[in-house]
This record gives sequence, C-alpha cells and structure tokens, in this order.
Amino acid sequence: MISVPLFSVRDLHVWFELPDGRELHAVQGVSFDLHAGEVLGLVGESGCGKTTTILATMGLLPSSAQVAGEIRINGVEILHGGESSVRPHRWRDIAMVFQGAMNCFSPVRTVGSQIVEPMKLHGIAKGADARRRAGELLEMVGIPAASAERFPHEFSGGMRQRAAIAMALACEPKILLADEPTTGLDVMVQAQILELLGSLADKLGLAVVLVTHDLPVVAEACSRAAVMYAGRIAELGSVDDLYHDSHHPYTRLLFAATPDLLGEDRVASIPGAPPRLDREIVGCPFRDRCDSAIEVCASEEPLLHLVGSAHVAACHLNDLIESVTK
Amino acid sequence: MNSSDTSEAHVMKDTDVAPRPPILEVRDLTTYYPVNRGLAGRLLRHEAKTVHAVDGVSLRVDAGEFVALVGESGCGKTSTVMTILGATKANSGSVRVKGEETVGRTPREMLPVYRQLQMIYQDPYGSLDPRFRVSDTVEEPLLVHGVGATRQERRQLVLAALESAGLSPADLYVDRFPHELSGGQRQRVAIATALILEPSLLLADEPVSMLDVSVRASVLNLLDELRRTRDMAIVMVTHDLSTAGHFADRIVVMYLGRIVEEGPAKEVLSNPQHPYTRALISVVPKPDPRDRSTPQTLSGETPNPVDIPVGCRFHPRCPIAREECSQSDPPLRLPVSVRIESHRVACHLA
Repeated sequence: MISVPLFSVRDLHVWFELPDGRELHAVQGVSFDLHAGEVLGLVGESGCGKTTTILATMGLLPSSAQVAGEIRINGVEILHGGESSVRPHRWRDIAMVFQGAMNCFSPVRTVGSQIVEPMKLHGIAKGADARRRAGELLEMVGIPAASAERFPHEFSGGMRQRAAIAMALACEPKILLADEPTTGLDVMVQAQILELLGSLADKLGLAVVLVTHDLPVVAEACSRAAVMYAGRIAELGSVDDLYHDSHHPYTRLLFAATPDLLGEDRVASIPGAPPRLDREIVGCPFRDRCDSAIEVCASEEPLLHLVGSAHVAACHLNDLIESVTK
Repeated sequence: MNSSDTSEAHVMKDTDVAPRPPILEVRDLTTYYPVNRGLAGRLLRHEAKTVHAVDGVSLRVDAGEFVALVGESGCGKTSTVMTILGATKANSGSVRVKGEETVGRTPREMLPVYRQLQMIYQDPYGSLDPRFRVSDTVEEPLLVHGVGATRQERRQLVLAALESAGLSPADLYVDRFPHELSGGQRQRVAIATALILEPSLLLADEPVSMLDVSVRASVLNLLDELRRTRDMAIVMVTHDLSTAGHFADRIVVMYLGRIVEEGPAKEVLSNPQHPYTRALISVVPKPDPRDRSTPQTLSGETPNPVDIPVGCRFHPRCPIAREECSQSDPPLRLPVSVRIESHRVACHLA
C-alpha cells in the first residue's frame, strides 16, 4: 500500500465545550485510511463517536464543536481552514447518506426534483440535463428512471433508501459515508441495500464508510472495520481478523453479545455502560466492563499497537503477551 | 397429505404431550382494516377496500413456552399480537386466554383478562410517561386492578418487581424519572410493570430492537429466565431470526397475514420447508465473515395486503413457484419430509 489513500483521517479530535466550562471529548485521536473500492465499517455502541467522526469529516458538526486533526482526500488536507476549506469538497468529493435518510424527502415534491437539487446547487448540471442524470442515478440504484416523476409516498421504505443513496451520488463523489443505512429496514431490504453499497463501491471505485451498531452487517458488507469505544478506536483490522483473531476484549465481548443464527453459544451482554465523556478518563476506558483487566489498565491508557498485518488494537494485554513471548 | 391428516396429528399431540390446557389459543383469527376512500371516493362510489392484516391465523401457546413471530414488515405479526391484546378489533375467529374467550369484549370486559395478559412495546423511550416516577409507572397496574391494600404493601410489590426485572438494588431506581435511565433500564421498567401482576402470558413487540447490542442479550436473557422460573408464556414479535433462534422454543413465520411455517425454532432454522423461510434465513447477516453466503434476496417487498395474490400468497415472489401455486391456496400441514411432528408448512411443494 504505497499509493496515497483516497481518504485519510489522522488523529481526529472532536470536543464540545459545555456551559459549565467542562469539555466533552467525543472523538479522541481517530485515524484510518481508505482506498478506492473499499468498504470500511465503523462499529460501536451508541455514543461511542461513530456518527460524530463522520460528521466531522463532512464539516457538519454544530458550531459548538471544536475539531482538530487531519482529513485528506487524495492527499489534500481539507480541515485546516475550517468550514470554508471543507465546504467545496462536501457532496462533490465526499457525500453522506444520513441516518433515517429515507424519511428526509419532502412529501410534496417528486423524488426526481429533489435529486436534481444538489446538482443545481453545485453547478454540475441543470434543466433537462440534470433530469436525465437523475434518471440515470435512479437506474444505478435499481429504480426505474421513470419513477423520478413519482412522489416519496409512492415509494416503499427500501426504495426511498435507494433514492437517498442516489441523491448522495448526484455530484459524483469519491467517498460515500453511510450512517446506519439499514436500520429500520427489513432483513430482506437490508440485504438488498448492503448488496447495492458493495456493488457501487466496486463499480464506481467509491470509498465507503459504513457506520452501524450491527456487527453481522459489518461482517457481511465490509472488508475492514474499526471498533470504536468511548470516542477512540479500540481495534481496527480486516473483518476476518476481528472475528477470528480479535486482540481487544471489547471486540470479543461484542461478538459474544450478538446471536448467531444456528450458534449454540450462550449470548451474553456486556455489563455496565460506557464511561461518561465529559470527565477525564484515567487508564483504559473499557476497564470497568472488561473481563480481563489487569493492574496497569487502571493507570495507563493503552495505545493502538500493531498486532498483525494491518491490524491494530489498544489493549495492555497485547503488550503483556508480547513481553512473555519475547 | 391433507387437512384430515394434520387434525389427527393435532389430536394425538393434545392427548399425548400436553396435559395442561394452553395459555393462549387462537383460532382462525382475522383482522381487517378499512382503507379510507376519502370523500371523493365515497361520492364516486369507489369500491370499499380492506387491508387483510391478519387473515386466518391459528396459534397455540403453552405455559412457559417462548414463541417468536417473524416476518417482514407488513406481514401481520404486530397486528396479530395487537388483536390478541384486544387493542385492535378482530373481525372473526377466536382468542382464548386460559380458556376464556376474549374476542368481542368491551375494554371494560377485557380488564380481568389483563391480570393474565400483559404487553411490552418496542420503544422504551416512548412507552413510559416522562412525568411519572418509576414507582408510579410500576404501581399503576396494582391500582387499576385493586391489588395491594396499603401504600406500604404496594411499595413492596413494586420493589420486588423491579428486582425481578434486574433493576437491583431497586431503591436506587424506584424514585427516578425515565430520563434518568438508560434505554436498557427503561425497558426493564416496562418489563417490571408488565410482570407486577404475575401474568401467565407476556406479549412483546420487538422488545430489544431499540437497545444497544451490548444490553440486548441481558434483556432477552431476563425474559428467558422469567418464563422458566414463573412458567410464563411469551409471544415475541421480531424481525431478527438469529434472536428468535436463540431464545424461542418455537418460530412462527408469517407472510401477508398468514402463517406459512411453524415449528421448533432449531428445526425451522436448520430444516426450513417454505421457500419464504429459506429466503429469510439466507439474508440474515452472519457475524463470522467466513460464513458469508450469497443471499437469496427476493425482489421487492411484501406486496400490498389490499390486493392479495390469488393462490399461494407468496407465488409472485417465489423462486420455485409452479402453475398450481397461482391457482390454489396451500393449507398449513405437515411437510412431506417430516422430521418433527410439530413442524407445519403452507406450501404445495414441501
């Protein structure tokens, strides 16, 4: 992997200043790289910073948020100038399918007229040209072009989600961020949407970031995944490594909490709740819920270390194992 | 292989294995919703249409049994549960809770039934009154049913219910408001409220789908434990086949208002007989990436229950449909290759 990654996030921090002067550190040092055609999963419980991470890369956080770090598209840094340096890239280079996007269409206008809007706004196409392109986009996501003249209520939930993906692709972005794109959809429709995202990444050379709380969805749709906890990446690697060779207790426990269709293993929840992010965390943030914490976990925060090829994890146990084997 | 065979099998099963009467017996239940034609439609005398949400469902649930109702949205699984609850009016058929007929009762007449029958809902953020403390919410059923003579007595029952729902120590939670609780804790309050009258049947509509993965298992394990220790029957609506397979004794697969397959959970998942069940199973994402299979996605979504296809309801989407499938509606019967007596399928080709 000598080539410059299409999308690169380096040491991203996001924090909010609270009215009482404290700080809520929502994202702490998140880094990942993504190449064209790749689908990366961002998984974790609610409040772990997945959505905040991708909103930061779109420059869509509220003004109370402070952002630091680097975001590069094809090697070009876009975060340095704040809002004004991110905005030209938004939708044109990097686009997003929001959570519940299928419910975001205006009910009083045709789907086609709403897909045309970002093209007009960004000066990509207008008039008949834009309408033709809206039809093509719909075809690309598996909806007949003629349906552009129909209203959102005439679409089923799955079709609206496809249309939302089509709209995100209107300005031919290179990077697509999808926030819980299958939550609230049926299993059958979920499978169709995941298939669609995979084939779009393949055909258009898109880099896709899939945010979800659902591990099996990640295993099915992604090549690599980052498991997030308390605003940090706990483990990042190929989905195969995460399942078969996990190096963080959180990843292992998350899989154990997920029922497998014909699996016999008892499904066990993870006791406790994630730590509050508006207080300083000493040591490992997962320590209180961990089943194998050791002394050092209480005092030192573990850093991400390489534990395999393109596989990193932040857990003191890995250092321990390493020192024993040496 | 027709209806006489299956009814015989039913009789044998009834006398041989089930000495106790069922907690819930549903027979040929139908629930239709009228479709609003609007003023113009009425003036123009458009044909009045109905949605056949539940269209001939029969179900039997024994004490301590955990039954999962699965299917796509719009298949009628929630309507079935709401009709059993009496929140939606049945058009025809019978629902017996501990032998007592409940169809056709007025809300007032239903009241005694709710000592036996309770429900928990999908959304623990919406199902609790934000102005009620936990103690008020959990105590409400006691007041409605006149259980517990003194405030002191009721308080003890509330604390015991919270403890059994896993909110321990109960003192810590009893005076809080819903906004001070996490999603999992709220769902436990809802469970405590449903359990305080010690019902014999609990209906649950997607009880964990709004909760975080890490706490889902604990709520489901709690339900599982309660039905074992209290002999309480559970009917759970879910779209998650993995959850159903793990926690339910029996899986009932619905399609367009009908049961298309039912049987012991492991049997239905490992030896599915209906092509719809097979398709549903094939699209369940597996946590192990090495298990990745080619999902057999069906085109489209559940068709509109206003226009139910003639013949087998599934035939327009069925990958193996034959001519007979578009002509006659298959009854629910023992599959030809029977492995387990209680397996039922509604397919001409199974």
